[in-house]
Formats: sequence, structure tokens, C-alpha cells
Amino acid sequence: MPTILSLQHLKKYFESQKAVDDISLSIEEGQIFGLLGPNGAGKTTLIRMITGIFYPDHGEIFFQGKKFDPIADVRFIGYMPEERGLYKKMKVGEQAMYLAQLKGLSHREAKEKIGLWFERFGMESWWNKKVEDLSKGMGQKLQFVTTVLHDPRLIILDEPFSGLDPVNSNLIKDEIYRLAASGATIIFSTHRMEQVEEICDQIALVNRGKKILDGTVTDVRSQYKENLFLVETAAAASLPSEALPFTLVNQSGNKLYLQLGEGQSRNQALRFLLDQQLDIVSFKEMLPSLNDIFIKLVEGTPVSRSFETKKDQL
Amino acid sequence: MNKTWIIIKREYLTRVQKKTFIIATLLLPLLYVGLIFGMGFIAEKSRETLSIAVIDSSGYFSAPVLEKQNQLDSSSVLTLVSGVPADSKAETKYDGYLIIPALDWTKGLDSLPLNTFKSYGSATTAAVEAKINRIWSEVVNDSLQIDLGKQMILSQSRIGIKSKNIVDEKSDSSKAEGIGYAAGLLMYFILLVYGSQVMMGVMEEKTNRIAEVIVSSVRPFQMMLGKIIGIGAVALTQFLLWIVFILVAYNIAKEGGTQMGAAEMVGNMQRLFTAVNVPLILFCFGFYFLAGFFFYASLYGAVGSAVNEDIREAQSLSFPITMLVIISIAMMTAAIANPSSPIAVWGSLIPFSSPIVMMARIPYGVPGTVPWWQLIASMAILVLSFLVMVWVAGKIYRTGILLYGKKITWTEMLKWIVRKN
Repeated sequence: MPTILSLQHLKKYFESQKAVDDISLSIEEGQIFGLLGPNGAGKTTLIRMITGIFYPDHGEIFFQGKKFDPIADVRFIGYMPEERGLYKKMKVGEQAMYLAQLKGLSHREAKEKIGLWFERFGMESWWNKKVEDLSKGMGQKLQFVTTVLHDPRLIILDEPFSGLDPVNSNLIKDEIYRLAASGATIIFSTHRMEQVEEICDQIALVNRGKKILDGTVTDVRSQYKENLFLVETAAAASLPSEALPFTLVNQSGNKLYLQLGEGQSRNQALRFLLDQQLDIVSFKEMLPSLNDIFIKLVEGTPVSRSFETKKDQL
Repeated sequence: MNKTWIIIKREYLTRVQKKTFIIATLLLPLLYVGLIFGMGFIAEKSRETLSIAVIDSSGYFSAPVLEKQNQLDSSSVLTLVSGVPADSKAETKYDGYLIIPALDWTKGLDSLPLNTFKSYGSATTAAVEAKINRIWSEVVNDSLQIDLGKQMILSQSRIGIKSKNIVDEKSDSSKAEGIGYAAGLLMYFILLVYGSQVMMGVMEEKTNRIAEVIVSSVRPFQMMLGKIIGIGAVALTQFLLWIVFILVAYNIAKEGGTQMGAAEMVGNMQRLFTAVNVPLILFCFGFYFLAGFFFYASLYGAVGSAVNEDIREAQSLSFPITMLVIISIAMMTAAIANPSSPIAVWGSLIPFSSPIVMMARIPYGVPGTVPWWQLIASMAILVLSFLVMVWVAGKIYRTGILLYGKKITWTEMLKWIVRKN
């Protein structure tokens, strides 16, 4: 797969802090990419550079193989910011037309695309409704539609599920899969790990303006594995307290949590358990969740940053 | 299609299609006309016809004399009585009384008290005063043996003085004053009303959280410029509509000019138009309107971008700008009193006050009162300043529009201007 977006040594410094401090990334076409990090890590600043809202102080952005042109390339980018909204007094149809035309669509193209998307989301009858008369969920649907209706190649969603009810959450999630399958690339920025694990192919974790790690979700998880295993037995097991070929981390009823140390192998451990005449139901490795990794990596960094960042994200 | 143009179109159409715009455009001139006629009507209504008892010791105010005057003029009724009436209206049927002492016809009287049981407005008591004086004039005329012919000569023969500017034939100071006031105040109105509309518009985008959605499609500068131009076009539309109203009213009055008031209005307007240089004033008004609006609208836009939802914050941040407009009005008053004074000259060169002060001075005549160099310098300075101001505002706007949850001061905004990028 060709690379759609490549960031090289991006830096953006503000008066009091380094919001983005030398981040390099590359994202392949058709991927769902998770950009993770605590509040104030520099995610929004990074995204604002990718969407052409900010110019980087240093470094280059390449989009579809060429140097990123913030004015021409916005046509191919759809961005749904975390702080999002619509003109309350405007009619739904006019609003969608306006935003589509600002992206560079002609009047005719815009009308056509809006027709398609409104049909897909069952919104045809909303055209003449005012935005302020929509329910919250309806407003969010409209917001999503206006983000993607110009068929962007790169879709950036900043906390897309915040404030969404489960029904609309699923609707949008399905749309994300569908768009990715049809070749669009999606950058998904969040601090909600469970969603990332579920949706994303590839992730990057940012903290304090720097990229701490990146890779596929599976790679990252195995990279941080702690050789923990869960053994389930048919009946509650009792083990000798000494000479174990592993460390027994925890035991609750018929569940045993083992950790293998240096030079200890899975087979040795299994053999030992079999020798204890245990009826083993299952044996599986426990990879750390992204959430655990996230907390482990981010913990201990000054939280105060997240309070400063609001004002300095510029 | 150019994106700034799309923004201008939206800003313009959403405002022009609003009911409030249509209502304000139609209602304001009506309100204005209504106010003028209404004030006259109320003044007329509030005048009462007083019935006054006259106790005369001079012998000049006899019953037949009073009766004759009552027939000529019914705005007050004077009746000769012999003694001071009782102290209330219920008992006397009079509203008040005059006690006229013995009088010397060569001197008259400085102040004669009109004793009333209630307070009356000056229009009401003036009717009594006028009637008493008409009688008194007759007394004086008879004593001096001035007949009706001589009286005509006395009242008509006089030499009037009218100032005339010999450098500029067209300037006429009393009319220039009126037009100057009107033009300056109109400018003040435009700058404040439409300037703050720009501010409200920017605030709306910020509080609705649509700002970041839009800046991912267009440059913040285009966004701000589109808003300013769009709202400027709304203001222009409103004024063009009002000019059309005036022309229509003028033509209707001219066609059916049989009624006294209409003919008078047409005559007044014609005299006004010949008294001043109308094309120049219109051109300058257009120019100062646009340039001044750009200057103030960008300031208001910058402030709007720095405000978080709170309307009080907007008020306190925009206060210095409003002050500038108000200072300009004070300077305008001084400039009209003396259109060549230093304060008038400086006021029409300094960019923040020039739209108002210069507009008030121009009707006095160019190049008579306002030399060409002043007009050209004022325009050049204003254009330069509004360009700088739009640029400065663009810098503040870009930062402010994406900033939430922090109270911003003017010092901070100044920092954003000097900061690189």
C-alpha cells in the first residue's frame, strides 16, 4: 500500500512549551490509524498542522507523495475537530451545501453528494430543518456527513465518539470501516483506548509533544507483553508453594495467573502443571491492553501540562 | 469559485433574508418620520387654551379690546373682571389671572406674573403672552400715531446678513452644518451597529464551535475578510434601500405636490441639493463608509475572536473601540462649530476619527474649508490604516478563534500581533 501521509521531523513550539517536538510518522492508504495520547500531548496541534490550520515551525509534511499544499490539499482532507459545531440558525441543507462548497465542490457536485449521503443516513427530510431544531444525535450525524461528503482521501476524526449515544456510535463506526474499505485513510485521535483496540490497524502514542511508540496494535501489545499467562482448570487447583518453574502471580478458584521469567518456557510450565494432575481447560497468553501500556508509559509525566495546553495549543 | 466569495455570499444572504433586516429597513425610516411628526403632534396636543381673568388698573385692557383679540385668536381667552378671583379653578371658572398695574406706555413692563392654579407648559403661556403683547403694540402704535402702512414698513424693512464662502460658491454654512451633522451621525451609526455585528458574528462562530471546522477548509484570514465584506454589503444594501425610499418619496411629493407640506419638502430638498456639492459628498460618504467600516470592523472582528461566549467579556473588550467612536463624535461636534480649527483638521486626519469628522466637514466645501491636501491625506492615511488594521486583526483572529476557555486581555492580543507566524 502506498503511503498517503508522511510527517518528517515536525516541530511546533509555542511561547511556553514544545507542543509538537520532532514527530515523524507515516500512514499507509486505507488504514485506520489511531493517534493516541493524554490531554495536552500535542495531538490537536499535530492534527492542525496536517489539516493546514497551522504551519509547522520545522519539518515537512508529504501528502499523496507530494509536499503538502495547505490550500489545494484541503479538498482531499475531511476533518472533524474535537471542538465541533454548526451554524444553529442555518438550514440543514444549506449548511451542508456551504461546507461542501468551502471544500471546493461545485454547486452541482455538492448537491449530488449531499443527496447520496442524506439518503444513506435517512436524512432526506431534514433539508429545510434548522440545525437548532435537530436532536443532539441528529446534529452529530449531520456533522459527520459534512466531514466526509466531499469524498476525502484522508479523514481525521478527533474524539469522534465523544457525546455519541451507542446507536449513533455504531453507525459512525460502521461508516469508518466502510470508508476505510473503499480506500480512504482514517486518522482517529482519542484518549479512549478500548475504541482504538477495536477499530485501529496501526497506532502512534504521543506524549509531551513526542512520539513514544508506534506500530500495529498486535505488535505494540506483544512488544509490551509481560509473559503473563492465564490457565483455567476444571476444578480449583492447589499448587506446591516451592520449586515452581514460573511465578504464580495470582490465583482465584480455577484461574491461575502465571508469569514466566528469564529462561522459563511455556512448555516447562505446562508440563509442570500436567504433572500436578490438573485438568487443564485452557492456556493462553495475556497481552497487556493498550490502556495498560498507555498508563504505564504516560504515568509519572507531569499532569500539569494538560492544564497549560488549552491556552498554548496555538 | 473563490472561497472568500462563498463566505461573503453566506454572510450577506443569511442577514438580508432575516426578518429583522427587512423590518429594520422598513421601520427605521418610518420611525424617523413618525418621530418628527409625532413630536410636532404632541407639542400641538399638549397646548391648552387658557381662560385668564384680567384685573386691569392701566385702562388699556378694556373689555372691547380683549373681546376683539379673543375673536382674532382663540388660543387663549382673556376676560376683564373687577376683583381678584378666588384661589381655585372650581370657584372661578378661570385657569388663572393677570393683575395689570398702572402702566407707562413708553416703558411697558419687564415681567408681569401670570398667576395660575396649575403649572402650564411654555407653549400654553406663550399664547397669553402673545395676545397681551398684540394689545400692547396697538397701544404703543396708537400713542406714536403709527398707522397700518407705517407698521408694515417697520416690520418688514430690515437688512439680513448671510455668510458666503467666496472660495467655494456652493458652501452654505447653515445647510452644511445640517448635512455635516447628518453625515457624521450616520457614519457613527454605521460604524457602531455594523461593527458590532461583525463582532457578534465572529463570536457566534466561536461559541457554535464551527470555527475550527471552517478553518480546516479556508484560511482564517479569508474567513474574517468574508465576514467583514459580507456585513459591509448588508450595510450598503440597507443604505441604498433608504436612498431609494427617499427618492421615491421625493418624486411622489413632487408629482402630487398640491399639499402644502409636500411642496415645502420638495422645495427644501431642492434648495439643499443646490447648496452643497452633492456628488462630492456622496462619493466621500461612500469612501469613508467603506474604509471606516473596514477599519472598525476588523477591530471588532479581532475582539470577537478573543471572546469566550460571555457577552460581558465582549462588552469590556470592545469598550476601547466604542470609546474611539464616541471620542470621534465629540471631535465632530467641535469640528462643526469651527470646521477649520486644529481639532477639526487633526480629527479628520487621524484614522479612527476621520470617517466621522471628515464627513462632517466636507459639506462646508472642498477646497474652501477642507483643502484638497487634507482630503487626500486623510483618505490615504485611512486606507493605509485599514490595511494595517485588517492585517493586525487577521493575526489576532487566527489565534483567538481557536482558543477556548481562557480570558484574554488586550495586552495578550497585542502579543499575538508581534509574534512571528
